[in-house]
Amino acid sequence: MAIQVRVTQQSIAARVTASLQNNLNRMGDLQERLSSGKMITRPSDSPTGTVSSLQLRSEIRAVAQYSRNADDGLGWLSTLDNTLTSSVAQVRRVQELTLRGKNAGASSPESRAALATEVENIREELIGLANTRYLDRPVFGGTTSGAAAYDSNGVFRPGPTGSVSRTIGDGTKVRVDLAGPEAFGTGATDLFAVLDSIAGSLRTNPTALAGDLNNLNTALENLQTKLADVGSRYNRVEQMRQTADDRALTLRGQLSEVEDIDLPQTIMEVQLQQTAYQAALATTAKVIQPSLIDFLR
Amino acid sequence: MGSTFSGLSTALSSLYTQRRALDVTGQNVANANTEGYTRQRVEMQATSATPVPAVHSVHNGAGGGVTVSDVSRLRDSFLESRGRAEHAQASYLSAQQSTFTRLENVFAEPSDTALAAQLGDFWAGWGDVANQPKNEAVRAQLLERGAVVADGLRVAHDALSAQWSSTRVQLDSYASDVNSAADAVALLNQTIMQQKSAGLPSNELADQRDLRLMELAELTGATTASREDGTVDVYVGGSSLVTGGVARHLVVTGARQLATESSDKVQFRWDSPTGLVASVSGGTLAAGLDTLGTTIPEYAGKLDQVAAALADKVNTQHRLGYGMDGVAPAGDLFVNTAGGAGITARTIGVGITNPRQLGVSASPGAVDGSNADKLADVMKLADGPDAAYRSLVVGLGVSAQTAQRRADIQLRVAADMDTLRSADAGVNLDEEMTNMISFQRAYEAAARVLTSVDEMLDVLINRTGLVGR
Repeated sequence: MAIQVRVTQQSIAARVTASLQNNLNRMGDLQERLSSGKMITRPSDSPTGTVSSLQLRSEIRAVAQYSRNADDGLGWLSTLDNTLTSSVAQVRRVQELTLRGKNAGASSPESRAALATEVENIREELIGLANTRYLDRPVFGGTTSGAAAYDSNGVFRPGPTGSVSRTIGDGTKVRVDLAGPEAFGTGATDLFAVLDSIAGSLRTNPTALAGDLNNLNTALENLQTKLADVGSRYNRVEQMRQTADDRALTLRGQLSEVEDIDLPQTIMEVQLQQTAYQAALATTAKVIQPSLIDFLR
Repeated sequence: MGSTFSGLSTALSSLYTQRRALDVTGQNVANANTEGYTRQRVEMQATSATPVPAVHSVHNGAGGGVTVSDVSRLRDSFLESRGRAEHAQASYLSAQQSTFTRLENVFAEPSDTALAAQLGDFWAGWGDVANQPKNEAVRAQLLERGAVVADGLRVAHDALSAQWSSTRVQLDSYASDVNSAADAVALLNQTIMQQKSAGLPSNELADQRDLRLMELAELTGATTASREDGTVDVYVGGSSLVTGGVARHLVVTGARQLATESSDKVQFRWDSPTGLVASVSGGTLAAGLDTLGTTIPEYAGKLDQVAAALADKVNTQHRLGYGMDGVAPAGDLFVNTAGGAGITARTIGVGITNPRQLGVSASPGAVDGSNADKLADVMKLADGPDAAYRSLVVGLGVSAQTAQRRADIQLRVAADMDTLRSADAGVNLDEEMTNMISFQRAYEAAARVLTSVDEMLDVLINRTGLVGR
């Protein structure tokens, strides 16, 4: 404030009004912050804070999407895992039946026929398993547009041969499907063909069972390898989801640091401001009143 | 030797003068709270003795009393012109600030619902479609989110456009304010000149004129020059707005809506047959012109860039994909709703209505979401729509903050100037009371002088030469 030679009632009033207005303005700002809980309500409050806030928000969205993608991927992988586990059990049963049919030289053609029927039933069941669906999609069918991966004869339906993957992190994609031939073999070791051959051999040519058994073992080993593969992928996706959830928490914390008010500090500031305002009002009331008129008779 | 009765007339002149001074004090007190009132002071002058000695002059040298030489108006014209300059700057900056505040309201960031969030939802929608490429409900939801983003861009553009139009209308009314104030100044100039030549006081008229001049300065950043005859000339951007008793008028010409702004710039012109361009460099008018010619078009352009980046990046990737039952690659997702090339914030719209046609799959006929996955990644592109929008918001934040700070500082400077001005020209009641007492006492004393002269004459006339009566 410049040094003034002259002071008038009007100039005092103007100055006091301006100061009180300033005071009240600051009160208003603080109250707004306190009631909204936000430091930044418009970009000009803090341009740098706004950048961080926009970026953090978009990252939070991206991470949430990763987490959703991972959940979906886990659905696929656990379906695969369950299906493969059941398949392995069924194939073991076939192994046992085949051994029984092969070893029991005394077994009658009738009992072998009974074994063959059971093997055929298991084959049907396995075809059913191979057509397992998750959210209406055959999990062994890749990107096929059909509703099933195998037809009722156990023949893989060739279609679009793409694989299904999910993005579960920045630039991280994980495959969440398993193509039918990868799990159930192809050519001589195609599980369904092997089972068909076992059933045939049991009925008509028990001597061929040895070769069939070898093929069956190969198919079983393949199934087990894939089961382990699916399990490790499941773990990886699970871990990534955990990471995404943790990251979401961290990001929210950072966003809150950028945007939200420090409650105790703001309340303190409001109190101080209130005191200052009241003091200003009180002194104004005292200072503005007297004039020479009061002292003239 | 002076006249016998000269003492009476001396006392009388004092009575007149002190009463006039009391009247002026009364006027000052009465206007203690009148806006723009300038305190007045009676300038007293002792009436001198006969100035020219003559042969038969027998004057003894005592003066002939007192007269009122002038009722002066105590206003510092230097402070006034500084005050006007500061006010012009303050109103320019606060108009600019309110423009930015309204722009900030248009974008309403940061929030969980504004355009940035809508874009985020749109990208998340692609993620969901990638997870369930065959699910039509998810696809339909994505289309909906695309429409929301397009709407958000259009709404922002419409809001900018509406702000432009309302500022344009406001500018017209400001221009007519300028014209009526200029007319008023011209009229006051004329009256003051007449009063002055007739020797009549014109202080109150000058106060009124100062108020009008301040109004003109706030509107246009006008500067003034006083003339000998008591009139004031007003200049806007170097050209005269008021010369003596004559005022010129300003008109606003050019586009009436944002769409035609670039081809038909808004300008101020002198209201004359030649219609020369008037350069208004300060005050609310100049801020309005900046808003119309620079600020709003700039942000509308940036918004168009966001829309163009969105349409370009999404359409390019989308064209590589295949729809649910199509063997042909998918078409464009974002189109120009007005038809024609180029997509702006005003024209952007979603061109696909059937969710099955979304180019989600990377190969024809496959139930595959890998193209959708790539579309979700458009979010992270450094030259993508999100980055463009972020830079828009941040640029706006920085400009708005700067405008706000400059306006705050300038308003404080202007308020300080006002305090100085009102301290200089305002009425101080203590001072007036003191003056009142001294004038009153002087009046009483003059009356006493009158009485004593009267008594003296009484002695001379009634009690002298009574010897022998």
